[in-house]
Amino acid sequence: MVLDQDLVRHLSESSVSVELETEDMTLNIGPQHPSTHGVLRLKARVDGERAFDVQPVIGYMHRGYEKLSEVRTYPQITTLVNRIDWVSGYANEIPFIVAAEKLLGVEVPERAQYIRLILTEMARISSHLIFMASYPLELGAATPLFFALRERERVLDLLEGVTGGRFHPNFNRIGGVKPAYGSGSATRKVIQDLPAGFLAETRDAMDKVVEAVDELNQLVADNEIIVARTKGVGVLPVEVAAAYGVSGPNLRASGVGFDLRKVEDYLPYHLFDFEIPTGENGDCWDRWHVRLLEIGQSVRIVQQAIDGIPSGPLQAKVPKVIKVPQGEAYVRAENPKGEMGYYLVSNGNQGPYRLKIRSASFSNISILPWILEGVLVPDIIAIMGSLDFVLGDVDR
Amino acid sequence: MTSSPSETETAAVHPLQEYADRVAAAVGGDGTVTFDTVKVRVPLERWVDALTTARDELGLVFFSWLSAVDWSSEVEVGDPFPEPVDDHFELLATVADVSEGRRVIFSTDLDKETPSAPTLIDVYAGANWHEREAYEMFGIDFDGHPNLIHLYLPDQFQGNPLRKSYPLLSREVKPWPGTVDVEGLPGSDEGTGDEGAEGDGAERDGPSEENPEA
Repeated sequence: MVLDQDLVRHLSESSVSVELETEDMTLNIGPQHPSTHGVLRLKARVDGERAFDVQPVIGYMHRGYEKLSEVRTYPQITTLVNRIDWVSGYANEIPFIVAAEKLLGVEVPERAQYIRLILTEMARISSHLIFMASYPLELGAATPLFFALRERERVLDLLEGVTGGRFHPNFNRIGGVKPAYGSGSATRKVIQDLPAGFLAETRDAMDKVVEAVDELNQLVADNEIIVARTKGVGVLPVEVAAAYGVSGPNLRASGVGFDLRKVEDYLPYHLFDFEIPTGENGDCWDRWHVRLLEIGQSVRIVQQAIDGIPSGPLQAKVPKVIKVPQGEAYVRAENPKGEMGYYLVSNGNQGPYRLKIRSASFSNISILPWILEGVLVPDIIAIMGSLDFVLGDVDR
Repeated sequence: MTSSPSETETAAVHPLQEYADRVAAAVGGDGTVTFDTVKVRVPLERWVDALTTARDELGLVFFSWLSAVDWSSEVEVGDPFPEPVDDHFELLATVADVSEGRRVIFSTDLDKETPSAPTLIDVYAGANWHEREAYEMFGIDFDGHPNLIHLYLPDQFQGNPLRKSYPLLSREVKPWPGTVDVEGLPGSDEGTGDEGAEGDGAERDGPSEENPEA
């Protein structure tokens, strides 16, 4: 068992410390610390330069969304789920709305599915660009931040143009999508669709993102300090990652080519060509590199979707007051951070009877006590940052 | 809306049903498929064995999540089921593979009085936090858990918030949907509108709710 090996490693380290007669110290990191991406607190026992018994303390941002969902209607809940992983708010809506549509048996029009897919991939690009900005910064390199945020702003502007929101789009409706553009007029019949020029502008933005990815690659991959601080640091074997439920780029960095976009049918990803980048060693470097490559693959998907987007309605016909029939469904999606899923139990009313939210970051940082056992104190920041979590996604 | 093409009772057997039956046979349970979701019910005595089999023999090495559903005929929040349900907790553990995209929700029933289940930590290390969450949210005991303390909630927090018997305080203070607008205008003393006797206590408990500008 893995834990036994830990114990052995732990015991051998502490026997060294007894010989040197050093004194253990308790180190508190957070809850207010830039590298914690919110309010995460770590308690660690520090023996010299190494950290042991690292205990994450979470819950500072617990908002009780699962309870709140039980007193809200389905359209109201999309505004809540936006705020789970706010760095990719749009992507959070998809599995929830698809779960409700599954129970209802609604067919979503093709054009709406394409729009969902394009925006989901743009959310992934913007989320990964934030990682490209923050991770080198945590390691002491400030320059990549400006390159990454410049492109992210471009993507967010486009998202805002369609949905009206940069972070919290609240754009999906049961049966389709609801553009802010041209809507809201009761007296005038307006065509609700994507804003004029959106597709062309997105195509341009994607070209610029590809250029920026090259720049970022040069800035970071040619930086000896970053390479030295990330290669071979925080190695995560596949078996451990799977047992803890670590998913998404963190799992793929460990060498598994597993992506829910390839095996689930929540959006029509099967229509597009894209690859699943994987790492070799499962270290911090691989986790950075996999995300960099994933931006390129998301760009490919967006470009193909823009080429192939069909015309047609954006919304299936659904009643004004939506009552979801009784039933249970679990729908999971490949979010930028990993597997995001909703287990929905409906009792036939306007809101769910129970909504279990499976968020990626929660499981992704449950690995921290394992992966931080015995590492050097400065590596704590390097490893935590490489897992790319958001506290809203941990605490829900 | 009622006639969904893929999910009518008379529809052909779901393509995943065969897989559900195979898993159920391997772990000694009962497999169903609803809305592309494979669920295998096992008796509580076989809870750990079933998940060990799933991990070792069925390749379901990925621990996705563990939680519970409070099946209750009387609820303090939201709406109950139209028909009375059999009161119990349903413990759910979802595991998956990392190759073909198989996923199975294992489920077992716990009684309401002393809900307790053996821990899964020795099978899936990731169950640790999920069980702590189910412990604080539903009050389910996990035998053998090394660190069964609150995860999200403060240590001194009383009650189990995700139980259906646990009221949602903000909804008690301010019912929804209320009258057109239960809040007085900022600066006016008219306060709580026409919520009646309950409004008095509420006003003292949560003045910021009543007048955000104050």
